[in-house]
Amino acid sequence: MKLYSLSVIFKGATKANLLKAAYDLSSFSFFQRSSVQEFMTFTSALIVERTSQGTRASVKEQEYLCHVYVRNDNLGAVVIADTEYPQRVCFTLLDKVLEEFSRQVDSIDWPSGSPETINYKALDIHLSKYQNPREADAMTKVQAELDETKIILHNTMESLLERGEKLDDLVAKSEHLGNQSKAFYKTARKQNSCCEIM
Amino acid sequence: MSTTSCYSTVSANIGWTDKFVFVCLLALVDITCTLLLLNPDFTTAWNIRKELLQNGVLNPEKDLYLGKLALTKFPKSPETWIHRRWVLQQILHTFSDANHKKNEQGEREQANAVRSQQLSDHLARTLHQEMNVCSDAASRYPSNYNAWSHRVWVLQHMAKGNIKVFHDELSSMRLWVSMHVSDHSGFHYRQFLLNELITELCRASASTTWLAQQQSSTVSNSSLHQHSCTERNGELSGADTASEEERQFSLPTVLQLFLQEMELCSDLIQSFPGHETLWSHRRHIFFLWHQWRTEHQHNCHSKGENVPVDVSDGNPGMLVQSSVGQGESVNCKTHASEPMEVDTGLLPDPHDSKRLKRGVLPSCPPSLPSEHSFVSIILESCCNYEQRRFALAYKKWLGTVIGLQG
Repeated sequence: MKLYSLSVIFKGATKANLLKAAYDLSSFSFFQRSSVQEFMTFTSALIVERTSQGTRASVKEQEYLCHVYVRNDNLGAVVIADTEYPQRVCFTLLDKVLEEFSRQVDSIDWPSGSPETINYKALDIHLSKYQNPREADAMTKVQAELDETKIILHNTMESLLERGEKLDDLVAKSEHLGNQSKAFYKTARKQNSCCEIM
Repeated sequence: MSTTSCYSTVSANIGWTDKFVFVCLLALVDITCTLLLLNPDFTTAWNIRKELLQNGVLNPEKDLYLGKLALTKFPKSPETWIHRRWVLQQILHTFSDANHKKNEQGEREQANAVRSQQLSDHLARTLHQEMNVCSDAASRYPSNYNAWSHRVWVLQHMAKGNIKVFHDELSSMRLWVSMHVSDHSGFHYRQFLLNELITELCRASASTTWLAQQQSSTVSNSSLHQHSCTERNGELSGADTASEEERQFSLPTVLQLFLQEMELCSDLIQSFPGHETLWSHRRHIFFLWHQWRTEHQHNCHSKGENVPVDVSDGNPGMLVQSSVGQGESVNCKTHASEPMEVDTGLLPDPHDSKRLKRGVLPSCPPSLPSEHSFVSIILESCCNYEQRRFALAYKKWLGTVIGLQG
């Protein structure tokens, strides 16, 4: 069971703003890593954009599960995990990160901040610690607190999109993805293997 | 005609210098290396390297290292694993040759002891390295049975009958399976280890009895150590190896092994609800236990003797008398120097955040009633749909498969 990325994103009126992110790309081959990272950022931002305030959701895409929580104050966090990793521990992690972040970083900085300007250092540590869910959390405690029925489950990324919207267009327009990644996505799509990395 | 003999023929005819030939052979090393990093299933390249190895141009360690590297990108590559086994066999042959030479010379005992220690250290290191390579490859690709099969092969050829190695493997695999709860290959490996351990322990306990009965005569070929000396870690030859081994490492009982495995399984089932692999593993273990217990009781009845196995590794001494034919439960007598804690249920209460302390096991072995109560606990406390489904299926299996065997 593995966690791949953890990001804090502000849900702006028109688009999502990445504030801070941590990644664990050790399971990807060396040359894939930068593309993988970009896609994870792209996906996380898209998910926050399409998730309503005060909602928790899990989005399944191939062998990845993206868990998101957007709070009522529009501060959101996304963790990308594999399908084995227990869902409830992910949501505990998201709650914890959001709470800590909102204490350390002033809300005035959220709409316009960026990973370079935001001063929050704990994300990497949290990601690393939570790689082993049992060490990081008392599972039985979490079981009691979280009401799993309130979490929306999306079976594909496509279900987040509006009618007529295509993922290909969003990829092409995205500022999170470099040219190489976009080209890679196109090729993968053509081969119908749809992005092995994402 | 092999590549190197080609070169020999050519060089003889044209009069190339040995140095030039050697340079060509080294070039081959580089070329094959590059090819294999791009495509490790290129059998011809591996075969060329086999020849280079046999002719002393290539060091086997280099091939192992190349294989390890290739496996980081292609963790399943069958040819890499196959070649790896060939190289390991070459290494093992070298060891046993060295051993025979040593035995022949025979005179300088001290030098021999040092030499054989070095050899077995090297073997231990090689073994350890193989385990790491297998672990790594298994982590990179789900259900990587090529890696696990290799791991099994290594144990069968480099640690045959070595209870300590098998036991260490079982412990070190705990974390891996806990982090890969839906990967059946890890659990399948544990089932293999358990099987081997049980076979060896039964053999060991049988020979312990035999040894005890042969007190007066010197036993130079202890049946505990019927395999070549080089294949054991830190082993000394001689009559008192049995006690040496016992001092270094106390044999676990078969009961202990089963209890620990069931505990691990229960723990994982409760922590990670809804994984079929865990339930499947439980069936395997319980079935194994059920079989062993039935066979064992039968054997002991026919032999009519007690086979006590004393254990003292951190537990209060637990003596298990296996020659009991009392229906479901085996009689467990605890000769404890301190009182042994027994939890209220047989298995951890899921609402209680404390887990069973390591080393303190429930005093009763797994049984049909205890399994049924485990299933009830799960069904009561869990709302995960998949988990309930698996629990009910397990209950049904208990009734139809085990129940009918009585």
